[in-house]
Amino acid sequence: MVAAVVAAGLLAFAGCGSGGSDRAAGRSDQIDVVATTPVVADFVRNVGGDRVHVVQILKPGVDPHDYEASPADIQAIADADLVVKSGVGLEATWLDETVSSAGYGGEVVDASRGVTIRQGNGTDEQAAGDPHIWHDPADARIMVGDIAAALVAKDPAGKAGYERNAATYDAKLAALDAENAAEIGSIPVEQRKLVTNHDAFGYYCARYGITFVGSIIPSFDTSAELSGKELSDLVAKIEQTGVRAVFSESSLPPKTAQTVATEAGVQVVEGEDSLYADGLGPVGSPGGTYLGAERHNTATIVKALGGRV
Amino acid sequence: MSEPTGPVLLRFDHASLAYGRARVVEDVHGSVHGGEAVALIGPNGAGKSTLLRAVLGLVDVVSGRIEVLGSTPARARRDVAYVPQVDTLDAQFPVSVGQVVLMGRYRDVGWLRRPGVRDRALADDALEAVGLAERKDDRFGTLSGGQRQRVLLARAIAQQPRLLLLDEPFNGVDAVSQQALLAALRRLQDDGAAVVVSTHDLALAHLACDEVCLLNKHQVAFGPTEATLTPELLRAAYGGQALELAVDSVIVAR
Amino acid sequence: MRYLLEPFGSPFMQRALAEALLLGAVAAVVSVFVVLRRLSFVADVLTHTVFPGVVIGFVVAGTSGIVWGASVFAVLSTVLITVLAGRSRVTEDASMAIVLTGFFAVGVVLVSRQTSFTSDLTAFLFGRILTVDRQQLVVTAVIGAAVLLLLGLLGKELLFRAFDPAGAEARGYRVLALDLVLNLVVALVVVAAVRAVGTVLVIALLVVPGAAGRLLSDRLAGITLIAVGTALLAGWLGLVASWQASVNHGLRLASGATVVLVLVLLYGVAAAIATARKVRA
Repeated sequence: MVAAVVAAGLLAFAGCGSGGSDRAAGRSDQIDVVATTPVVADFVRNVGGDRVHVVQILKPGVDPHDYEASPADIQAIADADLVVKSGVGLEATWLDETVSSAGYGGEVVDASRGVTIRQGNGTDEQAAGDPHIWHDPADARIMVGDIAAALVAKDPAGKAGYERNAATYDAKLAALDAENAAEIGSIPVEQRKLVTNHDAFGYYCARYGITFVGSIIPSFDTSAELSGKELSDLVAKIEQTGVRAVFSESSLPPKTAQTVATEAGVQVVEGEDSLYADGLGPVGSPGGTYLGAERHNTATIVKALGGRV
Repeated sequence: MSEPTGPVLLRFDHASLAYGRARVVEDVHGSVHGGEAVALIGPNGAGKSTLLRAVLGLVDVVSGRIEVLGSTPARARRDVAYVPQVDTLDAQFPVSVGQVVLMGRYRDVGWLRRPGVRDRALADDALEAVGLAERKDDRFGTLSGGQRQRVLLARAIAQQPRLLLLDEPFNGVDAVSQQALLAALRRLQDDGAAVVVSTHDLALAHLACDEVCLLNKHQVAFGPTEATLTPELLRAAYGGQALELAVDSVIVAR
Repeated sequence: MRYLLEPFGSPFMQRALAEALLLGAVAAVVSVFVVLRRLSFVADVLTHTVFPGVVIGFVVAGTSGIVWGASVFAVLSTVLITVLAGRSRVTEDASMAIVLTGFFAVGVVLVSRQTSFTSDLTAFLFGRILTVDRQQLVVTAVIGAAVLLLLGLLGKELLFRAFDPAGAEARGYRVLALDLVLNLVVALVVVAAVRAVGTVLVIALLVVPGAAGRLLSDRLAGITLIAVGTALLAGWLGLVASWQASVNHGLRLASGATVVLVLVLLYGVAAAIATARKVRA
């Protein structure tokens, strides 16, 4: 009984987050768009510009794989003109029932439409595949295209603006792609190997020819646990392949990454240098936008693996 | 005490009782007539409570028989009332005196129905019979020990039983309550009911009971009070726990 | 006043409120018996033994299967617990604790095989009252009606047994059967509560209202009224608090847990009142 009360207390305050909210409804000449993840929200803001008031559900640093919608979230969805999700099952555990509870009858835009999905290795991966599509700028461009199309369909009057914004942003994404390729190209070939906290960089590695050696959490979502054998296998692989660093992530605790790195005798990249795997950094920080976060990731990886930024 | 006038309401026919494999009481033999009061006397652990529970059909009779109201204990239960010791009950329980007495009517009311006007009238009369009508709405636990015992008796009276079993009802009870209890029991007997009461109080047995059953894991004697409460028989029943004080009187230790 | 009504303009909050009030009222009535019969530990055991049924129901048939899985395990564990408790005159704490942890562990193992493990687990343990749908409301209402019906029909016998088990037995009532019914009633409340507040928090609903009532009243009717009132108030205020915090202050307070916290606070108020009365008397 006491345990239940303590649990209630901890739970109730578990998500005590940022004071203040961006929940206030948009102006009457704006459309209200609810975006699930920070990345999707960033895309919508860039394409939508002034005509769109974006409400972002997942705050920076929050794990998108496991989320409980708050009253404000549900209220926002209920009042939304459009809801945009990242897709590929990223929000599977909570979005559908939240949308139906809110009574939102409109379209839920799937930003992943048109992206070639990378499947898992079939063990206990999510059936939908790897949801971390945005780390490949080429796929990000597809997502932006989907978002632009949806905004135009919803608000035809703003078509010109949306298409112009989308084109501008698309160019930036193309530039990012080229930058990434160049910088990664400067890493000595035999060092182009990646060990991360969870398996979030599959598309990134595929795009830039990096070998994904393994991840500490052997799945696309963050709940699985490494068995003792899997841990020692990973350490062995790291030693075998000569990987120079293990990378931890902004929304996961760094303990296990540190442990693996220590065992294998390699560097652990953590703290300020953690990679943005599942979301973005705090608003206003360099990692607070998609472009900023991706640049940070590449720079960090390249530096740690011996390349030139 | 008048001669027993009523029919045999309770008959022990060389009955032996057991809990599982362990025999606890041996060879009880005797009968109780309507209008009679029988005292069940013996040291602690003698099997008095067990015997009462056997009359209720809650203990196995492994040899001999117990006949209640001409039938088996289980079948006769409807007309048998049991008054437990008052300190087995939680004094903090949020129930009123009136509610406790009304509980005596539940079995007759039956499942799924509520007590009716007649049930409430019987309960009120029963409470009257023990002299506590004015405490009806008070919480049960606010009464003294003796008063609570009287309420439990009222609950039994409300049942309109033909056989009444009381488990040490006079323990630690004040004089006023004792009088009230005895008066109520007397009235029941006058109406033809039989009473079996286990007690340590020999004086009370002499005062109120027609017969006595002396018990110490087996029956030592069962007969009229005067003839049974002799020093020899009491010594036999209480073993070393009896203290002889004078030639023809015995003080018995609990 | 507007502050207290404002959150319930949207259908999802109305449903959450309806669930909280329905569940709270029914659980409160049951909690009176739990407190009088000192069944808090048994109730706690039942919340843990129903849990694997929740998981199995979910694995087999998704969200709508939860009720069925939970119900099956509710019946199974009720029988097991009642038999265990009836075996000796005194409750076998140790064997019940073993059953509690064993069943619960089975449930956790089963749910950990799901890829959505952590999210499912927290949903089952702590509820998701904000996404309660109409179907769940119907389930709660049906279970609630069944519980109240059982208690209404057998109320006087349950009261007799609670007050004087020896006397009830002497009267020919099967005490074990009556205990089975009451334990089943408790387990049914757990089944109804899974979606709303989850199996861990439901114990609060099953104990605190009755305890608060007992503090403030000496009569069964009074205790029940206060228990129900406390539960209803906690449901209302808890949802208001979590909504206002979220919408107007950007503060996340999990709704089900907040209701339970308010309930405990109300108990504190009741305790203060009771103490003040004693001091004055």
